[in-house]
Amino acid sequence: MKKITLMLLTLLIIGSMLSAQEITGLKIIENVYNRPTGEDQTADLTMSLINSRDDKRVREIKQYLKDYGEMEKKIMFFVAPADVYNTSFMNWSYEKTGKDDDQWIYLPALKRVKRISSDSKSDYFMGSDFTYDDLGDRQPTADTHKLLREEEIDGEMCYVVESIPKEEEYMYSKTITWIVKDKWVGKKKDFYDEDEDLLKTLTIKESEIIKDYIIIALSVMHNIQSDHKTIMKLENIKIDTGISDNKFTERMMKRGI
Amino acid sequence: MKQKIIIILLLTTTIMLNAQITQRGFVRTYLGTLTEDGHYSILQNTFDWRLDYGKGDVGLYVNPVFNYNGLSKDFGISLRQAYFDIFFDNFDLRIGKQQIIWGKANGVFITDVIAPRNLSEFILPDFEEIRIGINAMKLDYYIGNATIEAVWLPTFQPTILPDENSIWYPKMTEFPAPVTFDYSNATVEQKLSESEAAFKYSYLGSAIDVELMTAYMWDDNPAMHIYPFFTPGNPQPDSLIIKPEYHRLLLVGASFSKSIFGAVLRGEAAYYFDKKFSAENFSVNGIKEKDYIHYLVGYDHNWFDVNVSFQFIQEYILDYEDDIRNYEFSNTATFLASKTFINETLELSLFSYFGINNGDALIRPKLSYDISDGFNILFGTNIFIGDEGNFGQYDDNDMVYVKIKYSF
Repeated sequence: MKKITLMLLTLLIIGSMLSAQEITGLKIIENVYNRPTGEDQTADLTMSLINSRDDKRVREIKQYLKDYGEMEKKIMFFVAPADVYNTSFMNWSYEKTGKDDDQWIYLPALKRVKRISSDSKSDYFMGSDFTYDDLGDRQPTADTHKLLREEEIDGEMCYVVESIPKEEEYMYSKTITWIVKDKWVGKKKDFYDEDEDLLKTLTIKESEIIKDYIIIALSVMHNIQSDHKTIMKLENIKIDTGISDNKFTERMMKRGI
Repeated sequence: MKQKIIIILLLTTTIMLNAQITQRGFVRTYLGTLTEDGHYSILQNTFDWRLDYGKGDVGLYVNPVFNYNGLSKDFGISLRQAYFDIFFDNFDLRIGKQQIIWGKANGVFITDVIAPRNLSEFILPDFEEIRIGINAMKLDYYIGNATIEAVWLPTFQPTILPDENSIWYPKMTEFPAPVTFDYSNATVEQKLSESEAAFKYSYLGSAIDVELMTAYMWDDNPAMHIYPFFTPGNPQPDSLIIKPEYHRLLLVGASFSKSIFGAVLRGEAAYYFDKKFSAENFSVNGIKEKDYIHYLVGYDHNWFDVNVSFQFIQEYILDYEDDIRNYEFSNTATFLASKTFINETLELSLFSYFGINNGDALIRPKLSYDISDGFNILFGTNIFIGDEGNFGQYDDNDMVYVKIKYSF
């Protein structure tokens, strides 16, 4: 009996030690970064840009992306507004730290594919409230992460993680992200400007489960300072359809949708 | 009458194919005023209609352009492009009137020699409007990220130069005697042996983008052959007859663009064999043949959210002789800066050419505002600086303009 009590006690101590090994901010962000989202994806993206007077402008894009492990290729075909119809944009991003993205744009009026400077990650994408960097996967090692607390949003328990960039010149002084426990998907993210004032809030409104992958389908980025917001909606999402490598070429950029 | 028939045909075709046809384009009003005397230099209303039809591996594209000149009251229809595409697994075929654009340069034509130019308003219109669609058969064969392009142009289309009464008519060279033009040689016969061909290999990849090209063309600009008439005993001619004539041109070229530390470095070069140059030498009828190099280096970067681009362009005549009218080295630089504001609804940009040999320039600031999606207003000015050279010769043509455009 004594032996059994001792064994149970030992197990209890081990169990309590394991739970005391708290998950770190870095680990949470790594889990989000490494959450599988499929080998490839096709979707129709609609961005509604709404200013403080509630004037609305709409951008429609058909996008394809494919994960090659060490690199990710993405191609976007602009459908609306009419003056950018059939403009295409291709981005190749790399896992390797320090390697810049390769980016090309095809403007139908110029009729040629042009390599563009990728040193503009703080630029806003198509006039939206998302910068190019907001739309990409930021490497976990680029920031120092700290788990602040756990709290509930919309009935889901979230980790709240503060991330401070290691790069001094980065466009945000810090971000705070709410990440749903066990799902490793973001729920909300606050972006702070260089003066450490709240600049923007990203809210995830809807996620879809497609082939066991959690895909963010509807999100809103609200620039608090200018009271301008962008509603980003993904529709007709298809995962792992086996997009051909030929999709991410100069030929397809010129050919269009 | 012919124009009415074209309109009826287009409308009928559109209605017949309406189920699958995509209609796009724009309507634009363009008003420009010379700053020196306040005269209108341009008042143009344009309807640019783009009809796109696709079914399976075949596509059809027609781009008629309707122009009404508010100053001359002329109405005209032109067909900028009209072609069909056939798509195969590894290659595509495009046949018909089309614009073919090569090279990596911005606002400069080096290996971009396939589409001739409409310079009737100098280089001020949008480049899509400067380039003339040409009858061509183009084959693109794809091998991974590389493309081999072969182009056959059955007929020759020269550069369209400004009308003699136009404010853009270039300054004439001064001659020592009265001149008469004879255009009897200024044609190229429309037959198979007079056709043009060009080939290009291009590769687009992570490390670098490269193009290699060669073309056997006609020079889009005629050589001015001069025939002097002398009175015996007088070394100076009494009169001159100038006979413009088009000549064959063989060239090879290459271009590249590469990312370096977030910026883009570009280069482009063409080597022309036996290009004809005007010379002050009557014994060779005012023409000398020389090899010629035209090249460019460019750098694009984003500094503090401002897109900035520099280009240096040099033209070099090999085995130069002093009686050639062009400079041995002609140097030009370009500068572009642009920035958007208010969620990309407002754009401020500046594009400038600097002629280094003559100290002349063309400076083009623009302010563009999107009133709503597809509805844009643009204010701009063209400032010419200098007394001579490509830009300085138009010193009296400084203008301000406004363009209102609705895209659909």
